[in-house]
Order: sequence, then C-alpha cells, then structure tokens
Amino acid sequence: METEEFDRDVARQSARRYIPISLGVGILFYVFATLTGDNTLVARIGGAVWVTLLSFIVSTPLITARIKRRHRSS
Amino acid sequence: MDTSPTAAETISLPVQGMTCASCVSHVEGALKDLPGVSQVVVNLATGKVTVDRDSSLVTIEDMRRAVADVGYNVPTAEITLDVRGMTCASCVAHVEGALTDLEGVTAAVVNLGLGTSRVSYVPGLVAVSQMKRAVRGAGYEALERSQGLDALDRERQAREEEIRRQGRNLLIAGAVGLLVMIGTFYDMLGPLRGWIPEWLSYKWVIGLLTTPIVLGPGRQFFSNSWRGLRHGVTDMNLLYATGIGAAYGIAVINTLFPQAGFGGEGATFFESAALLTAFIVLGRWLEALTRGRTSEAIRKLMKLQPKLARVLRGATEEEIPADEVQVGDLLLVRPGESVAVDGLVEEGYSAVDESMLTGESLPVEKKAGDQVIGGTLNKTGAFKFRATRVGKETALAQIIKLVEDAQASKAPIQKLADWVAGHFILGVHVLAVLVFVFWFFFGYRLFFDPNSSFILSPYTLGEIGVFGFSLLLSVTVLVISCPCAVGLATPSAMMAGTGKAAEYGVLFKAAQAIENASKLQTMIFDKTGTLTRGEPSVTEVLVAATAPGGLTVQDILRFAASAEKNSEHPLGEAIVRGALERGAEVSDPEHFQSIPGHGVEATLQDRAILLGNRRLMTQRSVDITGLVGQAERLEGEGKTVMFLAVDGRPTGLIAVADTLKEHSREAIQRLQRLGLEVAMITGDNARTALAIASQVGIDRVLAEVLPQDKAEEIKKLQAQGKRVAMVGDGVNDAPALAQADVGMAIGSGTDVAKETGDVILIKDDLRDVVVALETAKATMRKVKQNLFWAFFYNTLGIPLGAGLFYPVLQLVVSPELAGAMMAVSSVSVTLNTLLLKRFAPSFGSAGRGATADRRRSVDRLPAPAAAGD
Repeated sequence: METEEFDRDVARQSARRYIPISLGVGILFYVFATLTGDNTLVARIGGAVWVTLLSFIVSTPLITARIKRRHRSS
Repeated sequence: MDTSPTAAETISLPVQGMTCASCVSHVEGALKDLPGVSQVVVNLATGKVTVDRDSSLVTIEDMRRAVADVGYNVPTAEITLDVRGMTCASCVAHVEGALTDLEGVTAAVVNLGLGTSRVSYVPGLVAVSQMKRAVRGAGYEALERSQGLDALDRERQAREEEIRRQGRNLLIAGAVGLLVMIGTFYDMLGPLRGWIPEWLSYKWVIGLLTTPIVLGPGRQFFSNSWRGLRHGVTDMNLLYATGIGAAYGIAVINTLFPQAGFGGEGATFFESAALLTAFIVLGRWLEALTRGRTSEAIRKLMKLQPKLARVLRGATEEEIPADEVQVGDLLLVRPGESVAVDGLVEEGYSAVDESMLTGESLPVEKKAGDQVIGGTLNKTGAFKFRATRVGKETALAQIIKLVEDAQASKAPIQKLADWVAGHFILGVHVLAVLVFVFWFFFGYRLFFDPNSSFILSPYTLGEIGVFGFSLLLSVTVLVISCPCAVGLATPSAMMAGTGKAAEYGVLFKAAQAIENASKLQTMIFDKTGTLTRGEPSVTEVLVAATAPGGLTVQDILRFAASAEKNSEHPLGEAIVRGALERGAEVSDPEHFQSIPGHGVEATLQDRAILLGNRRLMTQRSVDITGLVGQAERLEGEGKTVMFLAVDGRPTGLIAVADTLKEHSREAIQRLQRLGLEVAMITGDNARTALAIASQVGIDRVLAEVLPQDKAEEIKKLQAQGKRVAMVGDGVNDAPALAQADVGMAIGSGTDVAKETGDVILIKDDLRDVVVALETAKATMRKVKQNLFWAFFYNTLGIPLGAGLFYPVLQLVVSPELAGAMMAVSSVSVTLNTLLLKRFAPSFGSAGRGATADRRRSVDRLPAPAAAGD
C-alpha cells in the first residue's frame, strides 16, 4: 500500500520535471516573441507567464501519473 | 450491508467533492490502481462509488486514502452510543474491538466513566443497528445516545446544504454582478443614467465590486483547483479558475497601471470576471438541484421504511424500533399503520395498499396465510403477522438496493461520455495555448481591427494590445470548451428513468439494461406462467381402449395424481387438484422421478407409472397410436395432453388447460405496434402452442423446446443479428433470461433478490413489459437529448471562442458570454431531465383503470419442476 512517503517522493520527482518543462516552454515563448515582431516587454513577459502557467497545468498531471506508475512497477 | 469481510464483495462508498466528469475519472483511476479492486463505477449524480473488491487485499481505509490522494473525501459520520454493563478497562477493549471489527467503522472510542462509545463510521457501509448488535454480541447493551440521522437524512442534509451554499453564492454573484454590469455599460443606459450615480461607472469602483465576487463565490474554483493540482489532477474547476483569474488579474493591472502595456483602461474586463463567476455558479446551483431531485425515487422508497413496530410478547404489546424486529416475532398492525417488516398473516383480515412498492393501484386483501410486505399501508382492518424477513432481507430493502445499484451503474453511453469529458480538460488547455500562440504571433498582426467588438456588446476592442487580445481569446476558449453538463447528462436521465419505472413496479437492475431495452428487436415470451396464468386445470380424462380391463376415469386420475403427488410442476399440481376434486384417491408413490421436458415416472403398488408427453412415450416404447387422434383434437383446442402408461401399456390421457392472463393480448398487440417481433417459446407440443399463440396474437412459435435448450434458441436468434429480450419466470428460466440481451423476470412478487434477469417486473401483468420498454426508450431519448445539449454549446462555441470567424465577422466572444453559454447548457440538461417526470407509459396507472388484476401481487407460484415447460 502507498504511504505518505511514497506520495512525497512522487510529488518531489514530478516537480523536478514539470517545473523546468513549464519554465522552459515559457522561456522559449519569450525568446520567440523577442526575435519576431516588435512586441513590447510587457507583452513578451505577460505572454511568457501565461504560456508557462498553461504548460504547468498541462504537464503536472501527465508527469505525476507517469512517475507514480513507474514507482509502483518498480 | 454485509459487515463480515469476505473474499469478493461489492460495496458503495459516498465521495464528496466531485463536481464534473473529470472528477469521476480521477476517482475511478485512483481506486482501480489499488490491488484487490476489480471494478469501479462512479455515479456523479448520487455522489457514490461502487467498488468490486477482494476484502482480503484492500480495506475501506485503503480506499479512503486513495480517494483522498486525488483530492476528494469519503465522509464519515459520528454517533454516540450509551453502553451499559461495562465495569473495567477490559470491557472497554471488548466493546471497542467489537465495533472496529465492523467494516465501515473507522474508529470507536469508549468512555468507561460516562458509559459511552463514540463511533466514527462511513454512512451506508454500516448501520447503527449493526453496531448495537455487535455490542450486544460482546455481552453489553447499547442504545443511541442521540437520535443520529439515518443515511437518508444525512444525504438529504448534505444535498440541501450544497444547494443552499450555491444559492447563496449565486445571490451574491448575481446581485453584485448586476451592479458591475450597470456600471460597465453606464454610457449605454441613455435616460436611465439619471437614476444611477456616475461613480458606479468608475473603473476602481467596478473593481471593488468585482473583488468580493471573485474572492467570495468564485473562491471555490481556486481552492478546488489547487487541491486537485497538489495531487496532480486537473478538472473543470481549473478551467474556471484560470479564466476568472486571468480576466480579473489583467483588469486589476490595467486599472492600477494603465500604462503597463496590457491594453490600458479600455481593456479592463472586470465585468468578464464578475459575470463569468455568476454564470458558472448558476450552473453549479442547477447541478446541485438536479442531483437532489433525481434521487427522489430512492428517497421516496426509503421514506416507506417504518421506524417503529408493534411486537406482541405474550399478552403485551411493545413498540420497538423496526430494525430490532427479529424473524419469528409476532406483530400487530392496526388500520392506518404501516407494515413494519415482511411476514405471513396469522390472524385477522384487512386490505393493504401496496401501490407504493408494486404499483398495484387497488388495495390487496390479506387474510391468514397471505404474505404482507414491509412498508405497505394497512387500510381497513387489523391483523397479526409473523415476521419472515427483516432488515436488508425485506422486499423494500431489496427493491431499494436494486434501484440504488441501477442508479449507481453506468450505461455504455455514459462510459464514453465520461471518458471524453475526463480527457477533455487537458486537451482544452493545450488548445488554449495554441490559440494564444497563434493570435500572439500571427493573428493579431494579420486580422486585428480596433473597431471590432464583443458579440452582443457595443463596446469596441479599441486599444487592446497583442497580449490582451490573445489572452482574451485564450481565456474564452478555456471557458467555452468546458463540458460542464456532460458529467450529469446521462446519470441524471438514468436516475429519473429508473425512478419512473420503479413507480410502476418495474425494476431495472442496471443502467445497461435500460440502454439494451431501448434497442430491442425481438421479444420472446415463455408460455406457462408468463402468457398464461400458470394455473391449469383438468378438462378431460379419457380411458384408452388398450387399457387393462376395468380401469375407469377415477383410476386414471388415481394413477396420474399419485405419480404427480411430489411434483411441483403446475401441470402435476393441476392433476392432483383435479383428482381430489373428482374424489379420486391420491397415494404416495413408492418411487418418483421427474424427467425434465418429458414427464414423470413412478411406482405405485408395484405398478410402473409413466405420465408425460409424446417424447416420453416414444422413448419408453409405449405405443400411443390409439390415443393420438383424440390428443390432436384436444391440442387443437389449446389444451396440454399428458399420456398415461401403466406397466408399459397406454392407459389413458388427461387434458389440462391453462388460461391466458387477462391483458396478454393487449400487451402483445402494443409490442407489435412498437415494431417488435414477438415470439413464444414453450416445451409444450406445437399444436397446443400454436393454439395458445393464435389466441394472443403471436405468429412465431418455438415449441417442444426442452428447458435446457431455451437459451440455445435465444442464441440462434442473436446469431441472426437480433437484439432479443426474454420474458419468463425469473427462477426457472434463469439460463434463458441470462442469455437474452434483456431478461425480464415477470411476476417476481417482491422477493426480487433471487431473480435472474436484467429487469424485474414485480406484478404478474404483461402490460408491465410494455411499461419497461417504453420507459427505457423515453429514458434513452432523454440521455441523447441531454448529451446533445451538453456538447452542442461546446461544439458551437469553440471555433467562435478561438476567433475562427473573427477575420470575417470582426466579432469575438467575451468570457462572460462564454460563461453564460455554459450555464445555459447546464440549464438545458437540468430542465430536460425534469421533463421525464411527466412521462407516462401507455399502460401506466391511468391506462389500467379498475381492471387491474388484484390477485397475487405478492404471492407467487412455487417453482415448477422442469417437465413440460
């Protein structure tokens, strides 16, 4: 049966993955927004934050579920 | 509720916090991941999850934890019991141990000084009466200290609390949101502006008004989202939270820092945040109302359970809680009182209203020897009865369980809808990212027009920048894509449908049965006991010319009746009855054997008796040529002929006739008008079978089918691609009922638990078959309409919200309009489901009038043996 330690372990390992992924997507957006068009700083930062947030929402459950499955099978 | 752990069992757990179809899939996933759990079905409408588990591998506590891990809660209740007889610490340990051994009890704390035990338990898994019994079993006495609410009251309280909570939220969001709207559209109000203070239109005032809406009624979306995200799950709350949060956040920035570059004062969307919150809360309130209303059927049934019973102990009457009545107790019922438990009348005479359980519209006469059902209402006289079934064994408890199980089950169509909705959330967020990226990098530059506006709004988008515009469309997509109503579309209709059917004494065992019943093409009826009353009587007795000399009709009857004396077959019983009526002597045979599908053989006073059909005679090489002509004549009249052979010589024949049930023809005609192919299946010979079939209007007959071959016949029809229903006796036609796509057990009486089949028809009335079919069709129509309304707005709204038509129309959907569309989808589903209450099948109570067959609404024939049919 799962223990609290298991849950904490899964949460930690998942966070180590989805946080960099989300931030990476946000940074990527910022870079593209800077290189293309004449977007203001505010628009670039605002867009990067929004994309980061949505990426975080998308990646969190996917990665958490995957890590949980891997832990159980091991 | 069986509280002793067994290897495999099905339990039902209440789960709080689920609001949408994605919640359903998260809870299902969490429980299915547990070893020992083989099947999980979540019902959003009832807030319950049914789990098939191996109790030796997974406990209630494991399941509670798994549900909590994904952010939901299995609620527990508490009750305090007064425990008498404890004297020391070991008594405490005994009582605590007895209580915690019950499955469903999570904790029990005994206070020796106060003589109490505080018990925490999962409602629905264990009853207070079981706790009291457990304490009694340990050698102590237990009473409820406070009159704790039973499961029904608790459930109703929880629902009412939810309705009140969302109603309060709606009131706040609606009232304040109206002010926000007035302030936002102040310039458009024309002459009405004279009535409204100008400061209401100031952005910071609108902001101040919006803030309590977002942080008050809107807070539930943020807290639920955070709880879900912490456990790695996403649901519809997240869609709302990101939409409302983004609109409010940008509005605050543009109000406080208009030069920040997010679009300035022209791009403050406080009204979006406020009205979005109001519309979503409206949807939540309507869903709470729907959940409360559609479980009315269960509530009505549970309310029938009497709380008290009048038990006779010697000469004294004692009023005790109904759940403490034991089997064998003698109970007294006075006029106007409810019958407490199931039993057999011993003394007295009365008429009992059974309509609430069986749908039987006229009161049923009860006298000594008749069965009575717990929960029915005694009308005129007083009587005493002996309790035969109590607690969860009573008919009422079985019916409640059956309806609950049906409402907890999922139809295939619902599984598909839940799967789609559950996977939708992530897809919607991905779509929101794509929409944002497209409009940010390409769309704004190519298509944006400062003169474009929101749909149904005069205000132009004006100074809004690339980020503000892209964010607007992204947020709108999040909100407009939400399939809020999908989670309720199917279960609410199914619950209303099963409840409606139960009013007529038609019990669907599972939602799948409703779906299957709505698609039937062929209906097969068993003959004896289904189309006919199953009470045949002897009409002719003939002595064969080849009979041993001196044998008379009385002798024929004596041999036949003695051979059938130990038979439980209706034909055998008819012969015994006929013999006794005609004064023939009926003795016990020295030997008896039933030959299913053929007849019986016996030995009487050293003479070998054979009684049965042609098949039996042929098998045993009895030449019945001399009797065939007369047999065929009688069969042509619809009678069943049984040949008698004594010591291998054909001795005579007995003709037995059964009559059709009162409404057989009516029911068959209605089914044929509904487009169904109707057939009859019987073990009887073809001639008799055809005669009966023509009386009732059936063209297709499957005759001379052995009992064990009925299922095969159904299989053959299914192999032709037909969806087949079988209507028969639930106990004797079990294999055929199980083989059919829909098995209907008719005339079950109220002992529904042991019936095979997907649909139980309590009354012995064939018109209930029509009721079952029409209700199933009406329910599935409602399901499809609900799914249409649930998905219609999404399908229409997503391209609109994403700005697909913007280049042409120069119009965008505002977030609050998106929220309104989602609320409308919830309203549509709710109202549409409630319309099912007005549905009445063609043979409902109004259609039956005073000709309802009053007989044997509860009593049923003893299970016939297999010979003949």
